[in-house]
Amino acid sequence: MRSPLAYRRPSGPLADVGALAATAYFGSFALIAATFANPMVLAGAAGGIVVAGMAAGAGRALAVAVRYGLALGVVFVAVNAIASQRGETILLRLGEVPVLGRIDVSAEAICEGAILAGRVLIVMMACAVLSATVDPDRLLRLLRPVARRSALTASLITRLVPLAARDYARLSEAVALRGPAAAPVGRPAMVRRLVAGSLDRAVDVAATLELRGYARGAPGRSGARPPGRHSASFAAAGLAICAIALLAALRGVGGTEVYPGVRIDAGAATLALAVAIPLLAAAPLLLARPARREARA
Amino acid sequence: MIPARLLAAVATVFAVVTAGCGFGPGDSSEGEATIRVTRDYGSQSMVEASVSDPTESDTVIRGLDSEADITTRYGGGFVQSIEGLAGGIEGGRSFDWFFYVNGIESPIGAADVPLHGGDRIWWDYHDWSDVMRVPAVVGSWPEPLAQLSAGEDRVPVRVECADRESTCDDVLEQLATEGVAAGVKDFGRAQQTGPEAMRVLVGTWARLRADGAAAQMERGPAQSGVFASFKHTGSGWSLTVLGPDAEPAARVGRHAGLIAAVREGEEPPTVLIAGTDEAGVESAVEVLEPAELRDRYALAVGPDGAVPAPLVEGGSP
Repeated sequence: MRSPLAYRRPSGPLADVGALAATAYFGSFALIAATFANPMVLAGAAGGIVVAGMAAGAGRALAVAVRYGLALGVVFVAVNAIASQRGETILLRLGEVPVLGRIDVSAEAICEGAILAGRVLIVMMACAVLSATVDPDRLLRLLRPVARRSALTASLITRLVPLAARDYARLSEAVALRGPAAAPVGRPAMVRRLVAGSLDRAVDVAATLELRGYARGAPGRSGARPPGRHSASFAAAGLAICAIALLAALRGVGGTEVYPGVRIDAGAATLALAVAIPLLAAAPLLLARPARREARA
Repeated sequence: MIPARLLAAVATVFAVVTAGCGFGPGDSSEGEATIRVTRDYGSQSMVEASVSDPTESDTVIRGLDSEADITTRYGGGFVQSIEGLAGGIEGGRSFDWFFYVNGIESPIGAADVPLHGGDRIWWDYHDWSDVMRVPAVVGSWPEPLAQLSAGEDRVPVRVECADRESTCDDVLEQLATEGVAAGVKDFGRAQQTGPEAMRVLVGTWARLRADGAAAQMERGPAQSGVFASFKHTGSGWSLTVLGPDAEPAARVGRHAGLIAAVREGEEPPTVLIAGTDEAGVESAVEVLEPAELRDRYALAVGPDGAVPAPLVEGGSP
């Protein structure tokens, strides 16, 4: 079974977007998460990713990211509630805890943990949709001029890890088919066989790469695909999101302070920013549709 | 069936673990805790605030957080910056924030120090390149002697007279004005036999230097935390005030007095009211009041007036 995060040619205009433009587009949401702690702005960014993900048919990837992100978020909130000893609204006094010292849980510490969790969740959602909608080969090709060996390593990992997962599934199937009288096979034995198989395959891959002349350097750009039809609009949307985010941050829009008490800027400018992000994210999707209909007509 | 012993053990562990637990901020302690923030060994005041009737969950960091703009590090337990002034290295010298609870340097992070009514918290940002620790200060006078927030844990205060009794009487009078009840003992004898107490040593340096706590001053500020030194000249003692770099900054000279606090290990602090001669001791006693000692690590007094120790270039005199 394919992982929901594995690349599948997306539906809609994202199918015709180059890797660089797609990275700029989804990277803009990560930039929002890194720049702002304001829940309204973060909600806007999350809305933008959901719009893009659903339009590209990456709903399952989004669902997986949300599931893991929320689980991680619970850990963030719990750890921050215990670790941060700031905040004026004390909810719970846990007294002196050995090694950790005095612990008081404040509403502000919980709020800070929730904001951190939200920021991480947005980055995870953006990465999940990017992973599901952008061909990893094209993405790694972007990296090749900068770090050739790393790009090659990453390319191999993207292929060999799913292969190892499939090997494991087949080995399990084979074990199950031996019948009820067969001696049970423990997990360590399975892992040992899997590792042995993976090492064999790694040697084969290394030999193949050598035969194909990878040691001589990067191949020419003859095989490079042209940028997609909608690359410009997606790149523009990504850059626009980055620009308004940076401008807003410089002007102090979306300010959020958690300590000593929670103060969240919910002014008109912040609201406008929160609304603008999903609108800008949706813009290339909306603008691309009429062009398709015209093409069909 | 669960054995009774196991149940008892679980109940005991639960009681120990949950001791001090509860919902909400907890009970209040009566009184006002004051928080002062200064820089460069108290030479510039930055923030002055107070917290009325602190609750069980109020800590030094929460008190400061409610009054000043701060950033923290190491999981929020230690203060990195106050009002934008951050610790770090500047011009090859190390600067950081330090805080004193009732005149005693805190050995633990501000998040672990509870705030009580009557506490005097003093935050100071200073160069610690040459003197890493100043265990006790007199800048929160009458602390550390008054112990307003100590309740029943108050340590007795003992004035030890090394010279003239009349000078000691003046010290006792000054302390009584500030609400400090102190006993009197002769210098030297009480040191060996008395119970644990905060001592106030009054006398000329020639006598006081025989005391173990006071003698730390002769090993320099890195050992004692006092930025002043008594030097023996041909005809007597003279007093020099040092700068933050532990180098001589001002010579107070003869007939000079010093008020400082020292601490030997984990013992209660010892306050020194010392002089190069008896006239110097008397001039030190004259400035033994909160207004004169406020925000001073130590204070030297000479014929030309009071000099803070350490003496910071460009700081307030």
